[in-house]
Amino acid sequence: MDYTISSVAPIVLLPFFAFVINAFLARKGGKATVAAVFLACASIAGSSIYALKIFKDFVFGNYAADYYIHKVFTWFDLNGGGQEFAVNMGIYIDNMTAVMLVMVTVVATMIHIFSTYYMHHDMNYGRNGRFFVYMSLFTSAMLGLVLSDNLFSVFIFWELMGFCSYSLIGHYYEKEKTGNASIKAFMTTRIGDVFFLLGIVALWTHIGSVSFVDLYAAIANGAFSGVTVLGIPLATFCAVCIFLGTIGKSAQFPLNVWLPDAMNGPTPCSALIHAATMVAAGVYLSLRIYPLIELGNLNYFVACIGGITALGAATIALVQTDFKAVLAFSTISQLGYMVLGVGVGSYNAAFMHLITHAIFKACLFLAAGSVIHSLHDHHTHEHVQEMPRMGGLRHKMKFTWFAMWCCTLAIAGVPFFSGFVSKDRILGDALVMATHSPKWIIPTALGFIGAFLTAFYMCRMMFLAFHGKPRDKEVYDHCHEEHFSWNRNLPLLFLSVFTLGIWFSGSLTGQGVVKVADAHHGKYEWFQTLIQKPVVSKFTTMQREDFSGMDTRVKNSAEKSHYDHNHGLNEEEAHHVHHVHKIGAIASIFIALGGIFVAAMMYLWNKWNPGFWVNTFNRYYRTLQNKYYMDDLYIKGFIQGLLIPFNNLLSRFDMGFYDKYVVDGWAVVVRYLMNVSKWFDNLFVDTIMVDGTGASVRFFNVILRTIQSGKIQFYIIMIILVIFGYILAL
Amino acid sequence: MISLPSYLIISFCLFIAGLTVMIARKNIIAMLLGIELILNAAALNFAAYTRFINQNLDGHLMSLFIIVIAAAEAAVGLAIVIRFFQIKESIHIDDATELQS
Repeated sequence: MDYTISSVAPIVLLPFFAFVINAFLARKGGKATVAAVFLACASIAGSSIYALKIFKDFVFGNYAADYYIHKVFTWFDLNGGGQEFAVNMGIYIDNMTAVMLVMVTVVATMIHIFSTYYMHHDMNYGRNGRFFVYMSLFTSAMLGLVLSDNLFSVFIFWELMGFCSYSLIGHYYEKEKTGNASIKAFMTTRIGDVFFLLGIVALWTHIGSVSFVDLYAAIANGAFSGVTVLGIPLATFCAVCIFLGTIGKSAQFPLNVWLPDAMNGPTPCSALIHAATMVAAGVYLSLRIYPLIELGNLNYFVACIGGITALGAATIALVQTDFKAVLAFSTISQLGYMVLGVGVGSYNAAFMHLITHAIFKACLFLAAGSVIHSLHDHHTHEHVQEMPRMGGLRHKMKFTWFAMWCCTLAIAGVPFFSGFVSKDRILGDALVMATHSPKWIIPTALGFIGAFLTAFYMCRMMFLAFHGKPRDKEVYDHCHEEHFSWNRNLPLLFLSVFTLGIWFSGSLTGQGVVKVADAHHGKYEWFQTLIQKPVVSKFTTMQREDFSGMDTRVKNSAEKSHYDHNHGLNEEEAHHVHHVHKIGAIASIFIALGGIFVAAMMYLWNKWNPGFWVNTFNRYYRTLQNKYYMDDLYIKGFIQGLLIPFNNLLSRFDMGFYDKYVVDGWAVVVRYLMNVSKWFDNLFVDTIMVDGTGASVRFFNVILRTIQSGKIQFYIIMIILVIFGYILAL
Repeated sequence: MISLPSYLIISFCLFIAGLTVMIARKNIIAMLLGIELILNAAALNFAAYTRFINQNLDGHLMSLFIIVIAAAEAAVGLAIVIRFFQIKESIHIDDATELQS
């Protein structure tokens, strides 16, 4: 299959053109807005068709996991011909890109379809389609990020997504807390982005290029050994800085404060941005620069951050009463799992968890939107989001209930579902690392406890909302019976179909059994063969392809490497790994079922009293409710304690000293110079040159005007004199 | 001996006399008299040259022409003086200062 730019560019360009057209079209209102919404949905559906085509070619083409397509064009060149200061943009497609593209486009299509239901009444499709305008721009930015081949264009699309997130969170901008939330989201991710940019610059300075392929080649060629920046090895420095971008964007431990507040945005926006795509972009970046993380010995740090995030967010989610807040914290927690996966080195499993999480989390958010939308409080004219006022909704909303249960079981890690496959693999790899050295026990333990809590709080949410007796009679009575509507229920059911584990592992139990044949070694799980850590030594002899040219490399099996199911270990170690994985799988099953059991005992059958636990750990409970006081730390500690006094100091310096003396001082100097200039002007120009010319003219005039005396006899005399003079001169 | 130079000297003296009259007199009609003297000097010059150099009759003929021209010129000059008097009420030459800057 020959790939030219025209088979890949529509993926990004279709939503972008939809954005441009809708920016003008959607404001008009009425039929124009309906057309704009249709255009937005159609464009993302078109992108998904192109993405599916790439997916088909890559996945069913039996390529090796390290096959990629890389096309480059020079955007600008500061050195005029050389490659030293050239900034090259391009696309980079391998199996991971193909799977990610399909996930993003298909999930985005489903969310767009759902949004036509959800935003229908919000002043004509989201304030006259403004919602859809930003959604189109966002999807085009995300797809551009997935396809991009260098860190610089990743950064461009990263920032663009940050802006779209800001606009979408602040969709209901007339409420002050929504405006604050959108600014908070933007600013918090910005802090991460500053370090990301610093990492890119450090990398560019030392390597000379920011493209991933060049990075891998540089790692293989040893360009990083012995180079230090401020005393820190270069690989560590760059990896930390770029990973800080991930911390910001994927809401990891220090910078996770923005995601719960981001729930102020409309629910489909939360589904797309804060569940499936934008927060996944940070993990995608970490996966792309994984060789750098490995080289910089950063694995333990990354795993710890992931583990702390996973457990911390899970504990906060235990005490939340807002329906969407539980989902927000569970997103943070699952992102922690992905980062934990990156840290322990299970590249494949982290990516698989990214994909599975995107699907079931998006479905959860959409279902939550459906629930919230149907619960209408007639007194405040708002939708009810608090779980204490829900209960027993399964009788009223059967389809939503079914979709939500599928996704909840997936996230809890129940066997046969997709979440189990991916999460179990991450935890299994963490266990393997823990058996190697004791310090890895900490992230592993955090992961396992987090898994238990995940099962518990998700099922708590389901039981509180859907089961039991309705706690608020009025809300329950006014809730509409759910009928199957194509744009509300179809996306939910479509996404919930993909929460089954069979899609990702190729078997019902999800463990090591066969689906797709690999020509060399018999049969392995298809997803596992697809995606592997980039082997940097393969990138040393990299050839750039021109952007507009056809893909001319040979694609048959002579090029691909065989899938090493032992991951490069010998038989005994591989057996040990499999053994540990089996233990981990059994532990995961027990933990998940245990969590569901505890939640059922507390909230479904009401045998155990959660109030007992609240009272015993009251202080801890209050800490959890305040989200470990992180918001207070940032607002009262950093901003009010440090930044604002610093700002005041700087402004005192700026206005008191700088403005007064340096800026206003110039006025004195200028006034003095003006006087000098005036003196010069008066003397030389006015008196000497201007008046002097007049005086000299007048002087000569007095002499010369006697010639024209008007006296005829004088003229006669002159004539005679001149004639005589002429004759004499001869 | 009476030769060409003596006629030329006489003609020169007549010319100077006429010139002096033109320069020195303040009466316009007196200036016209000076012009007549100058013309006469020129005629004498012509006649002298034909007598001594060229033996034909060109110079003498020229003198006749000069007389006619002098008469016509005098007529025109007097017409100008009359016009001048009608405007300025005087025939003093120093009153003709229209060209004075």
